[in-house]
Amino acid sequence: MAVATTTAPTASTSGLWSWITTVDHKRIGIMYAVSAFVFFLVGGTEALLIRLQLATPNGTLLSADAYNQLFTMHGLTMVFAVIMPIAAAYQNYFVPLQIGARDVAFPRLNAFAFWLFLFSALFLYSSFVVGGAPDGAWVGYAPLSTQLKEFIRMDYYAIGAQLLGVASLAGSVNFIATIFTMRAPGMTLLRMPVFTWMTVVTSFLLLLSLPVIGVGLWQILFDRNFGTLFYAAQAQGDPLLWQHLFWIFGHPEVYVLILPAMGIVSEILPVFSRKPLFGYAFVVFSGIAIGFLGFGVWAHHMFTAGLGPVAEAGFGLATMLIAIPTGVKIFNWIGTTWGGKLRLTTAMLFSLGFIAMFVIGGLSGVTHSIVPADTQQHDSYYIVAHFHYVLFGGAVFGYMAGIYYWFPKWTGRFLDEKLGKVQFWITFVGFNLTFAPMHILGLDGMPRRTYRYPEGLGFEFWNLLATIGSFLIALGVLLLLINLVKSYRKGAPAPADPWDGRTLEWTTSSPPPVHNFDEIPVVHHVDDFWYRKYGVDEEGRAVRVPEVTGGTVEVEVGGEDHGEAGHDIHMPSPSYFPIIAAAGVVVIGAGLTFSSTPLVGFTLLGLGVIVTLWGLMGWAGEPITKEAH
Amino acid sequence: MTTEELHVDPAERNWIVASIMLLVVFGVAVAIAGFMLGIQVPTEEQRVDPRTVAQEAPWSNPGVRELVPGEEYEVYILASRFSFVPNTFEVPVGARVTFYVTSTDVQHGFKLQDTNVNFMALPGQVSKLTTTFEEPGTYSYICTEYCGLGHAVMAGSVTVTEPGGNA
Repeated sequence: MAVATTTAPTASTSGLWSWITTVDHKRIGIMYAVSAFVFFLVGGTEALLIRLQLATPNGTLLSADAYNQLFTMHGLTMVFAVIMPIAAAYQNYFVPLQIGARDVAFPRLNAFAFWLFLFSALFLYSSFVVGGAPDGAWVGYAPLSTQLKEFIRMDYYAIGAQLLGVASLAGSVNFIATIFTMRAPGMTLLRMPVFTWMTVVTSFLLLLSLPVIGVGLWQILFDRNFGTLFYAAQAQGDPLLWQHLFWIFGHPEVYVLILPAMGIVSEILPVFSRKPLFGYAFVVFSGIAIGFLGFGVWAHHMFTAGLGPVAEAGFGLATMLIAIPTGVKIFNWIGTTWGGKLRLTTAMLFSLGFIAMFVIGGLSGVTHSIVPADTQQHDSYYIVAHFHYVLFGGAVFGYMAGIYYWFPKWTGRFLDEKLGKVQFWITFVGFNLTFAPMHILGLDGMPRRTYRYPEGLGFEFWNLLATIGSFLIALGVLLLLINLVKSYRKGAPAPADPWDGRTLEWTTSSPPPVHNFDEIPVVHHVDDFWYRKYGVDEEGRAVRVPEVTGGTVEVEVGGEDHGEAGHDIHMPSPSYFPIIAAAGVVVIGAGLTFSSTPLVGFTLLGLGVIVTLWGLMGWAGEPITKEAH
Repeated sequence: MTTEELHVDPAERNWIVASIMLLVVFGVAVAIAGFMLGIQVPTEEQRVDPRTVAQEAPWSNPGVRELVPGEEYEVYILASRFSFVPNTFEVPVGARVTFYVTSTDVQHGFKLQDTNVNFMALPGQVSKLTTTFEEPGTYSYICTEYCGLGHAVMAGSVTVTEPGGNA
């Protein structure tokens, strides 16, 4: 059926080497997804250990030291090694397909970003066997993070987070270039799918916020190892400076975590309501507004730091303001499903669950914006409840919805829907059982980041409930894993367009060919694919357009004799230099981490520089097209 | 190719107008509360050197100072890993009590449990907050900013006495 020939060397399309050298955005997306899922299991295990320790008062399962490392790594893992890479997985796989492109703008940079992420996350985890993992909380407040030098744990933090940030930055640059320059003919910006829009917004958020924390982290490393005094109060430095630098990144970061999930839900709801997205332009503009305003609220994480009434009033107000575009999106999602013909597939259940859970988390967030109320909530479990509602009930539910929605496109098979619905309900109940009690615990005064709590304060019952809930979540995740493994091999076969979709990724086969589209489509509408399938009859109902069947637009090129008249599609060649360069950068990072032991540090630094230069020079020098062999 | 117009659904437009009006109302309310009603939020009072702060007045002698008997009190507290000095102290009910708290090492917090009196104690910075205890009794306070291994046990208590000196 293929009507175009590709000129990328296809000698190795299977086997480990083909994955190591791939620059295909779809394969890179799959690697991101698998890595993110593995880290999800690791971060989840850390959470279960935390919950076991806190199930009873004065728990003895974990020492304070072990607990502090576990909760720090739980936060770092979930943010940097799970949510960001799973968003990157979806963005990598689907943005080119949704805009009608064959790959991203910079395929080798794409591969580099993935390998850098994977090696950096593994490097961070190696700390467990080299004196212990970072134990300063994921926010790493100075001077705790700069003063304790008995171990190099916080050097691992400073470098690990730095490297992961570089990987995300590389991805952001790629997506911005791709989305602005590689859209199919006729796809104006306001005809792009919402998921692609959210990708470009988050890419700008990362582009502008990562350098700030990058600088801050260098300052931590230098304060620890090279005698600088950025955060040293005793020398006119200022610990508060770190809090500002961290949160100027940290707040846009949480929108980076949620916006792609909102984009996914904005695609799933219309498909399973058989209605277009209500107020498409406002959903897009609200995403942009959230991104923009997200840079103006950072000090709401610092309301107890003594900023003074003027600053606190300003940031409190700005934080309330950001609830408006968020509310617009929520009402538009409700408007999408209102009066629609709903199909309650697992993807739809997770999307509806997302809306409900995100509203709860958003409401507790609005209570934080009231400064005098926040001073009671700050550093209590009420805050922990809030962010888990928006990050798990919000982001994770959205990404799980995406798994059920897009699995057929990746693999050509459906996930088991019955098992999926069971998995949804178990996860939903377990999630609420775990985190709803934390609102009460926080308002009752239980502080966060404490490895144990005393008897007699009324914390016992809710903590036990939360622990039971966390094991239900674990069961839910296990069921998802079983569903993925089982369906990958034996799932029901899925066609190109299993859900009667609206966006361009459903026009190509499941899974897509390496070149994505035989013929680049010409776009006339938002949800262009839907309009190719359906016209409208006299009563305004959708009517299937007869010429297009099966949801796949087939193009004959050159009649029967495809070989001669078929046009060649050139795909980017695989390369091993991105993985080499990524490895070199991580070795440089390792050298810097060990700066307190100069012999080890300099050796690794030198080795890393050599490997990085080899990778970069090879990358720059290799021919863009390689001969097929 | 036709250019498309932005069609705003009337329900959507009304919702957005209503939201903006709510925002204006909230903004005015916050301004009134902050500037006219004198709602207290923690402020940075002054800068100190954490290396010498415990050796110099007033933190060389931390604790309660009576400025106007029964009405005005100051409490100077030093936070360090992992205790507050003084750990326990007394103030009378109904008096204005101003806390001055600083740290000698890393970030700490000071929170009176079940109240919104919660502020950071950072080295190099004195945090100041004024409050009034309405009811006598013993209140615990805890460290709220994660400060390391002993964070979970860093706590103290304040006894609020009746006029006449009884708790």
